Amino acid sequence: MAGPAVAAGPADVAGGQPRAVALFVPCFVDQLYPGAAIAALQVLERLGCRVTVPAGAACCGQPPANAGFEREGARALRTFVEAFSGGERIVVLSGSCAGHVREHAPALGEAGAAVGQAAVEFCAFLYDELGVAAVAGLGATFPFRIGVHIGCHTLRRLGLARASELQLPAFDKVRALLGTVAGLSFAEAARPDECCGFGGSFAVTEPAVSAKLGRDRLRAYRAAGAQAIVSTDLSCLLHLDGVARRAGAPLPMLHVAQVLAGDAVAAGLRVDGRAVAPPATSP
Amino acid sequence: MSAREEILRAVRAARPAATPHPDVRAFARELPDAADDLAARFSAAASAAGARILEGRRSDVARLIAGAYPEARVVVSAVAGLAGTAPLGDVPRTLAGIDLFVCEARFGVAENGAVWIPASGAGARAALFLAPHEVVVLEREAMAANLHEACARLDLAGESFGAFVAGPSKTADIEQALVIGAHGPKTLTLILVDG
Amino acid sequence: MSRSLPTVGPGASAVPVDHAAAAARFTADEARTDWHDGALWHVRRNRDRAAAAVPEWEALRELASAIKEHTLARLDEYLVEFEANALAHGVRVHWARDAAEHNAIVAGILEAAGARRLVKSKSMLTEECGLNPYLEARGVEVVDTDLGERIVQLRQEPPSHIVMPAIHLKKEEIGTLFHERLGTPAGLSDPTALTAAARADLRARFLAADAALTGVNFAVAETGGVVVCTNEGNADLGTALASVHIASLGIEKVVPTLDDLGVFLRLLARSGTGQPLTVYTSHVQAPRAGQALHFVLVDNGRSRQLARAGFWRSLKCIRCGACLNTCPVFRRSGGHSYGASLAGPIGSVLTPGFDLERYATLPFASTLCGSCTAVCPVKVDLDAQLYRWRQQVTAAGLAGRKKTLLARVAGGVLGRPRLFALAGALARALLRRLPRPLLRAGAGPWGAARELPRAPAQSFRSWYRDRQRRQGRTS
Repeated sequence: MAGPAVAAGPADVAGGQPRAVALFVPCFVDQLYPGAAIAALQVLERLGCRVTVPAGAACCGQPPANAGFEREGARALRTFVEAFSGGERIVVLSGSCAGHVREHAPALGEAGAAVGQAAVEFCAFLYDELGVAAVAGLGATFPFRIGVHIGCHTLRRLGLARASELQLPAFDKVRALLGTVAGLSFAEAARPDECCGFGGSFAVTEPAVSAKLGRDRLRAYRAAGAQAIVSTDLSCLLHLDGVARRAGAPLPMLHVAQVLAGDAVAAGLRVDGRAVAPPATSP
Repeated sequence: MSAREEILRAVRAARPAATPHPDVRAFARELPDAADDLAARFSAAASAAGARILEGRRSDVARLIAGAYPEARVVVSAVAGLAGTAPLGDVPRTLAGIDLFVCEARFGVAENGAVWIPASGAGARAALFLAPHEVVVLEREAMAANLHEACARLDLAGESFGAFVAGPSKTADIEQALVIGAHGPKTLTLILVDG
Repeated sequence: MSRSLPTVGPGASAVPVDHAAAAARFTADEARTDWHDGALWHVRRNRDRAAAAVPEWEALRELASAIKEHTLARLDEYLVEFEANALAHGVRVHWARDAAEHNAIVAGILEAAGARRLVKSKSMLTEECGLNPYLEARGVEVVDTDLGERIVQLRQEPPSHIVMPAIHLKKEEIGTLFHERLGTPAGLSDPTALTAAARADLRARFLAADAALTGVNFAVAETGGVVVCTNEGNADLGTALASVHIASLGIEKVVPTLDDLGVFLRLLARSGTGQPLTVYTSHVQAPRAGQALHFVLVDNGRSRQLARAGFWRSLKCIRCGACLNTCPVFRRSGGHSYGASLAGPIGSVLTPGFDLERYATLPFASTLCGSCTAVCPVKVDLDAQLYRWRQQVTAAGLAGRKKTLLARVAGGVLGRPRLFALAGALARALLRRLPRPLLRAGAGPWGAARELPRAPAQSFRSWYRDRQRRQGRTS
C-alpha cells in the first residue's frame, strides 16, 4: 500500500561539484546508534556530498533546555555554533535537534543566526535539496511492511509531513523517500501521528504515562501489520525499543538512513525470521 | 481607586503592541459561493442536528402541526395569524404545563441548520425552552449561507434576547451517548414555508 | 453539598500538585485509562471531521487568532465600549479585581434580592473563583444545571474537563449516584433514562429558583450583550425564569463586533465537540421585564497574564476544550490529575501564573508534541508557552535539587565534546558489563517500564576517526 504519490523534489545534484555538508550526529546517536550515523554518512556520500563531521560539538543542548534548563543547554549550543560555523549546510540526524538549533541558535547572535538558517534535518535535506529521484538511485531494498514514525517535532515544527490536525493538502516527505525503496510497503497505524511518549525528560519525570504512550504506539503499529518501525528520530526509537523489549515483543527499529543505505542487508537484520535480500546494485 | 479603574489601568499598562483589526466581511465575501440550494443545505444540516423538516405553504402550517403532534392539547403560538389553544401569558411559570410551542424564525443558517429567533419572535423567552416540543416556522427564502452572513444581518435593536437554535436540546454528558431532550425541548420541527 | 476546594483564590489549597504521581495512579488501571483515552480521541476525531467540512478552516483559525490579538492589545477600550452599551440597555455592570471580589459581588446581588436558591450553568470562571462553596457557606443553595456539572456536583468533586465535566465517569457509576441521590432504580445505567431523571429533578429546581448565574462564551463590545452557548438549554431555562440573572465573565471574553463573533462561533463547537454549532447560541442583551440583569467582569490575574510577554497569547483561549481532547497526556491522566479548574495544555499555561510553586509540575505534564497548538482554533502557541513556563519554574528554583544538579552536570558535559566522549564510553562500558538486575535497579524511572538501550562497542565519532585515519585524512 503506497503512501501519497511520490513527488520528485528539486533536481538532483548536477554532475560535477560535490555538495559540501557538515553532518551533526546528536549526542545519544553518537553513543548508542553509531550504525544509523554511519548509514547517514554513507547515504550522503553516495548522493554526491562531500561530508565533514566537525569534532568540536557533541550536543545541541536540547535535553537540558527542554527540561527547563535553557542556560545550561546554551553552553552546548554555543559550542555547537562555534563548531559548525563553516558556512555549509548542517545536516542534523535528528528532527528535534534540528528544530532546537533552528529555533534557539539565532538568540546567540549573528553566528547563531547563520547556523540556525543552515541547519536542516536529514530527511528534509534529502527531499528538498537532493531530490527523491537521486535517492531512488541508491537502489535500496527492504521488502517489508513498515510503520513510519515521524517524531513530533520533526512533524509539527519542521513540517516533514502534514500533521493530521491540519486541514491542508496531504504531503509526506518521509514516505516519498521511503517509497523509492524496493519492496517496501506501509502499515497505516490507526492514529497516524500520535506521540510515542518519549518527550525527553518526560520519559523519566512521568515514566508511567511515557511508557503507556509507548505501549499504545507499538500496539497501533502491530495492529496495522508493521514488521518494523522506521523513524526520523532515534530518540523515539530509543524509547519504543525499550518498551518493546521490556514487553518481550521486540520489533526491528531503524532510522530512515539505515533503510536507504541498505543497512538492513549489511547488518544481517532479520525481520520476522527472514534475512533482508541484498539490493539489485551493490553500494 | 475603584475596582473598575484599577482593572482598566492594569490592562492599559499590560497591553501588547497593537495589531490591525481584520476585515471579516472582506474574508466572508471572498469565500466561494456554494452553487447549491441553500434551503436544501439548511435542511440537511438541521436534520443532522436532530430537527424534523416539513415543507408546505403558509396556509398548510396548522394542518402540518396537527399532523406532526396529534396528541398536543395545550398549544401556545407566537406566530401571527396562527391560533394556539392557550394564550402566551405573562407569567413564565404558566408555561410549565404546555405541550407544544410554535414560533417563527427570522432566518435560517445553511451551514449549520440553525434558525435565528429573537425575543420579539418568541413572545416569551421561557416558551422557547420550557416547552417539551417546539415548531418553528421559517420562510424557505430567508436563508443565510453561513454565520458570517447571519451575523451581518442580525438585528438586535430593541431585543432583550435572541438565540440561534439548531435542533432539539441534547446532551452527551453520560459516556458520550447522545441523548435528545436535555433541558430544552425534546423535539424540534421546522416548517419551511413559501412566502 | 460543597465540592472540593477551589484551585485558586480564597480557600485554595497550598499543597503543590504532583501531576506525575496523580497520572501514575490514573494509568495504574490500564483498562480504564484506555476507555478514557478512547472517549476523548473519539471527540478529537469528530473535531477533525467537522474541520474537514470547512474548506477555509485554516484561514478561519488565522482570522480568529488575529481578531483576538487585536482585541487584547486594545482590551481596555473594548471593555469600556462593552460596559457603556450594556449600561444603556439597563444592565448592571460590576468589576471584580479577583476571585474574592467576584464572590462577594455575587453574594451581595443575591442577598439584596433575597435570593437563596441559585441555578448555575457552566462557568469555568466560577470554578476558578470557588464560588459554590463560598455561596453555600452563606446559606445559598447552588444547583449546577449542566448535566455533567450536576453529576460531579452530586459526587462532590470538581469537573474533569471544560466541556464534558463527567467524561471520567462510567454510566454505571452515574447510575449508582442517581439511585442514591435522585431515587432512580438500582442498577439503571441507560443514559437516556438517567438523563430523563436529571431533567425532571432539575426542571423543578429551575421553576423554584430565585436567581440564575451563567458563564459567558463571548461578550460583544459593539452590542453590550453576552453570548452563551449550550446544547442542553439549561442556561436559557435558568435566565428565562429567574428574576435575577447574573453573568460572570473573565475580561478576556470581549470581542469587538458581531462580525467577529461569527468567526468564533464557526470555530467553537466544531473544535470542542465536532458539531457545526451548539444547539443554543443565546444573545443576552437586556433584562426581561421584571428581571434584574447583572454582568460581573473579572480580572483575577488576567491583566497580569496580559503583561507576560511570553504568555499573554494564552488569553486568546475560547475554552473549546480541543487541546484537552487531543493531548495524549491528558487523555491518559484525566483532568483531576492537574489539580486545577483548567486542566490539559491550556490549564498548564494559564494556571502556573496564579501560583508557580503550586503548579510547577503542570508545564512538565507534556511531551511537547505540539498537537494542542495544531488544533487550537485561535492558534495559542501552547507548546511554546509550556517550554517557556519550564524555564520560569527552574529560574524560580522550583525544579528540585536533584534535577537541577543533574541538569548542571549534563550541561557541563554536553558542552565539552571530549568530556562527553569519555562519559559516553564509560556509560557504554557499564551498560555492556553490568548484570541486568543491577542495571535495572540503577536505571531509576527509565527502567521501571523500559529496557535500557543496547550499548555498541564503538561510538560513531570513534569509528569516524578510524576511517579518517585509514583514508589518510585528518579530521
